[in-house]
Amino acid sequence: MLDPLKVAIDHDMVVLTLAVYVVGTLVLMGFFLMRSMILKRIGIGLAVAACALQIIELGTRWNMTGVWPLTNLYGSLSLFSGLGVLVFIIFAARYDLWLVGFGVLGISAIAFGYATTWNEGYMPAVPALQSYWIKVHVPLVIASYASFMVAFVVSSIYLLKLYAERRFGSAPTLRASAAGAGGNFSVAIERSAMRSMEATVAKTETPNIATAAANGDAFAIWLAGLPSLARLDMLTYRIVAVGLPLLTVGIITGAMWANEAWGAYWQWDPKETAALVSWIVYAAFMHLHTRNKWRGERTAWVSLVGFATIVFCYLGVNIWISGLHSYKM
Amino acid sequence: MTTHTQRASLAGPVKEVVDEFLILFANIGFAVSLFAVWAVLTLIGVIVDQNKGDAFYWQNYTPDLARIVLRLHLDNIYHSPAYISIIGLILISMTVATFRRVIPARLPALRAVKIDKIPLHAEFTVRGDETTVRARLERFFAERGWQIRKREFGGDEWSFIDKHNWARRGVLVAHVGFVIIAAGTTVYWATGYSGQFTVLSGNTATIPQTGATVALEQFGYRIDPVMTKSGVVYQPIDYVSHAIVTGKNGVPHDAIIRVNQPYDVDGVKIYQATYGFGMTFRLTENGAPVAGIPATPIKEGEGFAIPGTSRSIEYRSFVGTINRQTGQPGADPRPNDPGVTIQAFDGDKPLGQALIPLGTSLDLGSGYALTPLRYTLYSGFQYRYDPGIPLVLVGALVLLAGLCISFYFLPARLYVVVSGEGRTWNVGIAATTVKGFEIFEDRFRDIVAALRRVEDEPGSSAAPVPVPATS
Repeated sequence: MLDPLKVAIDHDMVVLTLAVYVVGTLVLMGFFLMRSMILKRIGIGLAVAACALQIIELGTRWNMTGVWPLTNLYGSLSLFSGLGVLVFIIFAARYDLWLVGFGVLGISAIAFGYATTWNEGYMPAVPALQSYWIKVHVPLVIASYASFMVAFVVSSIYLLKLYAERRFGSAPTLRASAAGAGGNFSVAIERSAMRSMEATVAKTETPNIATAAANGDAFAIWLAGLPSLARLDMLTYRIVAVGLPLLTVGIITGAMWANEAWGAYWQWDPKETAALVSWIVYAAFMHLHTRNKWRGERTAWVSLVGFATIVFCYLGVNIWISGLHSYKM
Repeated sequence: MTTHTQRASLAGPVKEVVDEFLILFANIGFAVSLFAVWAVLTLIGVIVDQNKGDAFYWQNYTPDLARIVLRLHLDNIYHSPAYISIIGLILISMTVATFRRVIPARLPALRAVKIDKIPLHAEFTVRGDETTVRARLERFFAERGWQIRKREFGGDEWSFIDKHNWARRGVLVAHVGFVIIAAGTTVYWATGYSGQFTVLSGNTATIPQTGATVALEQFGYRIDPVMTKSGVVYQPIDYVSHAIVTGKNGVPHDAIIRVNQPYDVDGVKIYQATYGFGMTFRLTENGAPVAGIPATPIKEGEGFAIPGTSRSIEYRSFVGTINRQTGQPGADPRPNDPGVTIQAFDGDKPLGQALIPLGTSLDLGSGYALTPLRYTLYSGFQYRYDPGIPLVLVGALVLLAGLCISFYFLPARLYVVVSGEGRTWNVGIAATTVKGFEIFEDRFRDIVAALRRVEDEPGSSAAPVPVPATS
């Protein structure tokens, strides 16, 4: 019999966590729109609080029931929300990426809100899930999903800025400058550089936004405050570079678990194959990112497609398609 | 001489074809296209039910869709020629790209470059004698863990300064991992086997490939009612088979086989897969037992013909608890008040379904009556011998290592050339990486700034002379 007090605490934590996600999203949205430093600081605090509360809530469940809390969609979506914010916090702290926080917290809020509809209470694990692998495989896979979610948000911002740049001017011009570090030398990206490099420069510069901002266009001024396209592209790459190995390890550990539980490391179960599709898309992303011609806009779109496959793999397969990972009753 | 000419004339077109093949298969765009096709085919397999038999598709899909699925063999897509061909093409592409593109591009030759043509470049002037300037530069990079190699081209000494040069092989390692995985899978296809069998409690089954026997002493399960927000659900907690397994050496061993806890006999792993309720029926005609129906329990999906008629009975499913009020199957799967559902046929024509409580007779007409007498638990096992697993695991780990090397280490090369005369020397420095230039822009700026600070240090034998930006 579960302690009613602990059950009540758990319930209150669920409500509080959801509330912090929502408020954090609104505050960081305010920061995104207004660039207010106060909102930024409050938003950071709320993001950290949401992440901590989420992890503590799952820990409380584990402690209360003795059952690993990731045996159902509620638990895994909760972890997805928490880890999504954690991955974001790590990258934001390292690369000053707080501007995109509203997107990450927003998706986490939606995911956790949806998770609560799958919260059936405290159930023991079915035999297939009674394995130490669940403590390895599930967090790894969910962490990879969370990373791809953050990459999705960054890619979306990239495309927003890129298309705004195109809207502000019909003919992109090449501007040859990368800031010099001192007065007596410069690191230069030159107009005379190789043709393939010109394409890169064109994609990484936003002269039209800069010109419109200089002319007082409010939207352009706002856009100019976003990280540069080159930086957003690089961050997407770095985040996918975290997510893809995690997904790889997740698939490997899943295969090892399947080999122990079902008698084959690969059974072409819909979940396995959907994860393989996601893996292929992100592997394609990494391959394409090595090409100057593809880096930037196209890889940003691949990142978006990749996250769509993740959503399909995560929710579509589990909910709509019958298989070994199905939540369908 | 003529033969040589003929050979030469043949070699031309052949070489052209080979070159075109190599160019195509080394092309990243082509590889990504193959990835896309692979992804689409895989996705089809996720959406379309696999290996269900023709009847399933005709029953559950629209006729047009069922026809497409069956004609295009989308019902077993992962073993279709198209799917295997795509994987084969990807492996070929990977191999060609590795040798034609990855290795040459990732391990570039040490040669002079046009510094100002490389997007990341800087130039500055320092004073001092040549030996001191070169020594300071060398010390600067050596102290920071860079690997320095020197070559002379056209009278100029070039320094090729590398960081994480070993990591240039990351992609190669990842590709090798893939090949090892493919090899491991092939080992299973060539020498492995798998299968399924069911054993009624008290009976013995044999694994045909090895002759090992599995005698099921008892199958047990635990299903608990759990109160959820939606009401009571019956949650399976444990499935366990107590068996005696005898391998090639003839020595019987007690085996407890659970989900997630397979039993290994002679390298063949036996897994707890399913369970069910075998059913013993009694058929009577005008009260007298009818001979010719199975005397032993039959499993769900099995049936028997009624002797002397065109009719037959199929045992559809076991019902653990019949709701006494409604007479319908209850939610509790545990055998509290059990029954069975049967389907009667006349030839191929279904006559109807019925739910019969255990021990109760159902009048089949013409004086026949059917009684489900008792159930016997049976256990379903899966077995598999896969000697390729260690290879697949090694391949997966190699692949992972390759990914980590490729993603987390940035091999960068600095080209440094010092030119000038007397006590004024111009230092040209440019950087390339395997991941483009933007990723190294900040770092390069830092390196040049640090280099400048070192040259600026008081006591240094030379002071830098500012040089205007090159653009």
